[in-house]
Amino acid sequence: MIHAAGVTKRFDGHTVFRDVAFTVGPGERVALLGLNGAGKTTLIRCMLGLVRCDGELRVAGHPVHLDGRAVRSRIGYVPQRPPQFDGTLAEMVGFIAQLRGADLEHIADRLQALDLPLEEFGEKRIRVLSGGMLQKVLLALALGSDVELLLLDEPTANLDPRARREFLRAISQVENNTTVLLASHRLGDVDAVANRLLVLNEGGIAFDGTPDELWAGARADVTLWIKVPPERRADARERLRAGCQLASVQANGAAIGVTVERHARADVIASLRAAEIAVQDFWTETPSLEDLLEHVLTPRTASVSGGNG
Amino acid sequence: MMPRRTMLFVRRELVSSLRARWFVAYSIIFVVAGLLLTTVGLADSVVYGYRGFVKAFAGLVHLALLFVPLLALFPAVQAIADERDSGALEYMLSQPVTSGEVYTGKWCGVSAALLLSLAIGFGVAGATALLNGVPLRLIVTLFTFVLLLALVFVAVGLCCSTLVGSKARAMTAAIVSWLVLVALGTLGIMVAFVRWGLPEAVLVLWTFVNPIEAFRIGVVSTMDADLSVLGPVGASVIQRLGQGGTIAAALLSLVAWIAGPGVLGWKLFGAERASG
Repeated sequence: MIHAAGVTKRFDGHTVFRDVAFTVGPGERVALLGLNGAGKTTLIRCMLGLVRCDGELRVAGHPVHLDGRAVRSRIGYVPQRPPQFDGTLAEMVGFIAQLRGADLEHIADRLQALDLPLEEFGEKRIRVLSGGMLQKVLLALALGSDVELLLLDEPTANLDPRARREFLRAISQVENNTTVLLASHRLGDVDAVANRLLVLNEGGIAFDGTPDELWAGARADVTLWIKVPPERRADARERLRAGCQLASVQANGAAIGVTVERHARADVIASLRAAEIAVQDFWTETPSLEDLLEHVLTPRTASVSGGNG
Repeated sequence: MMPRRTMLFVRRELVSSLRARWFVAYSIIFVVAGLLLTTVGLADSVVYGYRGFVKAFAGLVHLALLFVPLLALFPAVQAIADERDSGALEYMLSQPVTSGEVYTGKWCGVSAALLLSLAIGFGVAGATALLNGVPLRLIVTLFTFVLLLALVFVAVGLCCSTLVGSKARAMTAAIVSWLVLVALGTLGIMVAFVRWGLPEAVLVLWTFVNPIEAFRIGVVSTMDADLSVLGPVGASVIQRLGQGGTIAAALLSLVAWIAGPGVLGWKLFGAERASG
C-alpha cells in the first residue's frame, strides 16, 4: 500500500528526514511513532502530495509526485487539528462528499455509527462542534469514501480522555482491508490500533517491528495502578511487595501503584484475586515515548534497529 | 467548460462570500455612496446643464478609486489566508483535487461575489443616472472599468495571500501594495516629475504600468476626449495614443494586472505541492 525508498525531505537547508525506507502492506495497522518534531507530520504530508520530497514514494502503486489525485482519492486523512470550515456540518459533509465523488448516504451511515446522525447534527455550525466530534466527522468522511489507506496524524492530540478513547475505539473497528497509519507520540494510542510500529527518530526509521519487540528491546516497565477496598489496602500492599517481579510499590491516595513488566500485569491482578482481595479498578501508566526511545535507541542494537536508522 | 471540482470551489466560495459581513457592508457602501454622488452630481445639472453630469461621473470614478482596490483586497486575502490558518485549506488539498482547481475556484468565487456586490452598488447608481438622461454607453464603460479594477486587486490579494504565510502578513503585504500603487504611485511620480524633470515618456509609461492610473486615464478618456481634466499627463497620453489607443492601452494594462499576479499566485500556490 505504501512504498518508500530513499525518501528525503529538507526545509530551508534543514533535513527533516533522510533516506527513509519502509513498506506497508494492504490491511496493515501501523503506528508511526516519534517525538515532537521527528517529521511524522511531514512524512504524512509527503504521502498526501502536500509537500515535495526526494526519493521514491508510492501509495497504492501510484507515485505520489506524478499522480497525486489518484493517490489522494485512495487516502482518508484525519489531521491533528480539525479544520474549521465555515457553514454547517451538512454543508461540509456534502462538499467533501462531492469532491471525493462519495455516496452521501454511505457517509451518513458512518456518521450514524459514530453517534453523529446527520439528521440531528447536520444543521449545527462546524465551529460549535467539539474537537472530538469533528475528528469523528473526518473519520466518517474518510471511511464513507471507501478509502484504501487511512492516514491519521495525531488525531487524539487535542482530545480529552473520553473523546480520545471513543476515537481510538472507532479506529479499532475499521474494516480489516483498510490500511491504517497512525502517527502519534503517545504509546497509549498505539496499543489500541497498531500491530506494527515505525519509529521515526533523528531523521530516519530507528525501529520497525511489533509493539512487543519494542517493549522487549526497551526493557521498560509500566506502572500498574490498582484500586482495592480501603480495609484491604494494607494487606494488598504487603502482598504486592512480596511479589518478586515487582520493581517498586507506591501508594497514591486510593490506588496502589506497582512498577512491573508489561506482560506481568495480569499476574499481579491474579495474585490479588487469589488472596481474595477484590480489585475494584486498575489502569496502566506507560512510560513516555521519550523514556522508551531512550532505552531503545541508546544502544541501537540489532534487535531494535529494524529500519534504516 | 470549467472542471466539476473547480465549479464546486467556485460555488462554495460564492455562497460563503454572500453570507459574509463584508459582502453586505460593501453593497451598502457602494449603494449609499454611489446614490449620493450621482444624486448630488446630477442635481447640479438642473442649474449648470451638462457639467452636472461630469460631476456625477467624476464622483463615481473617485468612489471606485478610493474604495474598490482596498475593498477587493480584503476578501481576496481572506479567501486563502483564513482557510490556511484554520486548517481547512490543507484538508481540502488532501482530497482528490489539484491545487490549480482549488486556486481557480477561489479566484473565480471571490471575483464573482465582489462583482455581484459592485453590480448592486454601481447598478443602483447607474440606474439613477440612466433615468436622469446619462447615456447608457458611459454607464456601461464606467462599470466595465470598475469591474476590471476590482479584479486587478482580487488577483493582487490572492497573490499576496499565497506569497506570505500568515493572514496578518498577507494583509500587510496587500495594504502595502495598495499604498504603493495608490498613494506613492500617483503622488510619487508627480513629485519625481516635478523635482527631477523625468522625461514625458516615463510619465506616460507609468500611467499604464500602474493599474490605478490606467483605470483613471482609461475611464475618463471615454468621456473627455482631450483629457483636459487630467492635466498635462492626460494631454500627453492622448497626444501620443489618441482616444482609442488610450482606452485600449488602459484595458490592456488592467487585464495584464489581472493575469500577472493571478497567474503568479496560481504558480506559487501549487509550487510546494508534490503533485498538481
